[in-house]
Amino acid sequence: MNEERQNERDSQLSAMFDGELSAAECELLARRLSKDEALRGQWSRYSMIGAALRAERGVKLHDRVAIRVQAQISQEVIYGDATAADSAVMARPALTAGEARGGVTDRWMRFARPVFGVSIAAGVAAASILWLRNQESPEILAANPVPQTVTLAPEATGTVAVSPAPIEVTERVISNGEPERYTTPVPNSSTSIAPPARLANYVVAHSEYSSPLTRRMALLGLVASDGSGVPAEDTAASDQRPEDRTQVNAH
Amino acid sequence: MTTEESDLVLVKRVQRGDKTAFDLLVRKYQHKVVKLVLRYVRNPAEAEDIAQEAFIKAYRALPQFRGDSAFYTWMYRIAINTAKNQLASRDRSPIAYDLDLTDPEESHSVQTKLQDPDTPEGMALTEEIRGIVNSAIEGLPEELKTAIVLRELDGLSYEEIAAAMECPVGTVRSRIFRAREAIDKRLREVFEGGLGRTEEMV
Repeated sequence: MNEERQNERDSQLSAMFDGELSAAECELLARRLSKDEALRGQWSRYSMIGAALRAERGVKLHDRVAIRVQAQISQEVIYGDATAADSAVMARPALTAGEARGGVTDRWMRFARPVFGVSIAAGVAAASILWLRNQESPEILAANPVPQTVTLAPEATGTVAVSPAPIEVTERVISNGEPERYTTPVPNSSTSIAPPARLANYVVAHSEYSSPLTRRMALLGLVASDGSGVPAEDTAASDQRPEDRTQVNAH
Repeated sequence: MTTEESDLVLVKRVQRGDKTAFDLLVRKYQHKVVKLVLRYVRNPAEAEDIAQEAFIKAYRALPQFRGDSAFYTWMYRIAINTAKNQLASRDRSPIAYDLDLTDPEESHSVQTKLQDPDTPEGMALTEEIRGIVNSAIEGLPEELKTAIVLRELDGLSYEEIAAAMECPVGTVRSRIFRAREAIDKRLREVFEGGLGRTEEMV
């Protein structure tokens, strides 16, 4: 290598040490440094000159730390592909400052990643709230059943008044031996449609024992009921003969 | 290009599998890191051990380094944490020696070695290097001396030095290079055979 070229190379080395060399030149010189021990020695002496000028107290001017670290990392894993370090240079000779900082895509991803994270978290939270609200009603009803008071008309005309609040039961026996009021618990499940169906079957099967008007009212009550079946069941029970009533209670 | 970007070129090379690029970073910053660690531990040999450990930690963590901060800033934090951890572990487990320290003379000898295990030769060598560098600086033309001092002691960029010295940036680059070359020539004359011989002497 002639003196002029060597001077130019050494000048580049000095500029690279100070971070004043262009990225492309820096990459090429780094490639050269990886193969040239003498050049690395020169790099070390530049570092030593700076340390000596700064007169850093207690700092020994030698390469002991670097030599030990080099020996230790020689046994460490090699990142990436060792040949890729140079092939990347060949494929992409000029590393721009933007690329060196990580690139536009990386920066965009850095911004977008937390936004995606927050969106997913909000979606999960909303779904959880909706699911809990759907699950809440039956649980609360089951935990706090509201008693219903059914008041029967004395002549069993079919008028049924349902009031949700009272808990206390005042049992007054009317003329036919039936109590005037029943207090029945609200069913635990809103999906229990089996009792009205069974009751309907029962009413149909025993229709021959009841008067036409009473039978019609009982059926209307069943049809009009929302599926809970409680009012209709009580009305039907009031219409039955005493021997049948025990069967209803058993249901 | 800044020092951060120049270091990042080396970091990227390490991440692509070039271990010698990491060696360059260690050689560049080893003295600064040792100086930093010396704020936490007084013993220079212990400071070197901690600096070595910090560099190894940095190498192992380098795949995760994305260049959000400068390499030296990142290295600085690793070195401080390593030094603090070392201090904490030393506080937790005091060193026990299998030596009979009842003999006052022997006790004094051991303690002296623990405080500064570096050999006098090593200290003398460091002083000698400093002497060579300082005498070489004194022998430089004024414009070279000013340029290298502004760069190394004041940490100014080439552009700032150019503004201070009222000359083009290219001239600053040339002056700093020529100053380094002159000092390096003196060093090579003294330590013929390069830094390997320096290490042997230490």
